[in-house]
Amino acid sequence: MEIISKISKGTKMDQVYIPKIRNGMPAGSYVVIRPLNLELKKQAPILYNIKELEPVKIGLIEQIFSVIDSKTETENIIITGSFLEKGFNFNDIDVIIIAETQSRGIEKEIKEKTKIETHVIFFDNQLFIKALKTDPIYRLMLSKCISRKRLTPLPEKKLNYRYLDAQLIKSKSLILSFDYIDGKEKYKLTRNLMAIHLFVKNKTLSIDNIEKGIKKQLGIGIEDLKNNLTDNNFLRKYKTFYNGLEGEIIKNAGKQEKAD
Amino acid sequence: MPENRKKLISLLIGHISIAVIHEILIGSTENKEIADHYKKEMENAINLSKKYRVKTNPKNSSFRNKDSKYIKSQIINRVKLECNVKSKGYRKLFFSSISP
Repeated sequence: MEIISKISKGTKMDQVYIPKIRNGMPAGSYVVIRPLNLELKKQAPILYNIKELEPVKIGLIEQIFSVIDSKTETENIIITGSFLEKGFNFNDIDVIIIAETQSRGIEKEIKEKTKIETHVIFFDNQLFIKALKTDPIYRLMLSKCISRKRLTPLPEKKLNYRYLDAQLIKSKSLILSFDYIDGKEKYKLTRNLMAIHLFVKNKTLSIDNIEKGIKKQLGIGIEDLKNNLTDNNFLRKYKTFYNGLEGEIIKNAGKQEKAD
Repeated sequence: MPENRKKLISLLIGHISIAVIHEILIGSTENKEIADHYKKEMENAINLSKKYRVKTNPKNSSFRNKDSKYIKSQIINRVKLECNVKSKGYRKLFFSSISP
């Protein structure tokens, strides 16, 4: 017979309470007390398309995993976004938690422990698969990430043109406020545009492919874009590219609607 | 209206319109629950609108009646215009959600 119990603090001596109704171990018998190792066997985080990562970031990721583990039971945890880029020029840490139930307060607790802003997205397994099928941004997230457990292969994509049209409109902000937003914002909006383009054209989604696409289609280097070294020539190309892609998506959305 | 304020109000109108169109379009797809999960990116247009809202008018006071009427009508017009372009391709859009 084994009983697991907690040591509680007493005034003169500490003690371990055990239930009165038990099978065996009567009062007066001698027992052995030894610490119970609650630490689960740790598995090293799995890196996808990351050539190198600062050791301090690995430490932070392990800390994040342990906070999440203490709050909820998960199927997988995925870290993605700018945190995985070289250096420390990131705003926050993007965390995807695959779990059957959502747990509140995780963002706050991670922030308290790591002092870094965190953005947590909860998914159940089925919804996550659906997201990977239809949304290029989620596919892009998994092209460079760190996960707790090994990821399953990406599901086959499903083009839902109406949904893509809705996601594309976000990139219109660049046209609208070209002179008023910074390079970082311009890069994000251009990346969204190019991710949708590659998704529609059946190309593999990765940061590399997106950045090559931006250079090829819009004629601008990534560093120039991020540093806001953009001119009217870029804006003109961006508008033409945006309008062309929007037209193609609307046309296909109509065809898809008729087919349904 | 001074030139700069006029430009900022026009940006405010533009970004609110984008946020509204995005909501209408997402609402008319079967994938709303997926989109809802990635709010950070979607809030971009809203955040930009807030930035221009603060620049054009003090944060804790309302727009003048004349301004707010103008802004509202411009947003409705822009959203309708954009939805009309979309509806040439596909039809099932919830136009009722544009204006109460």
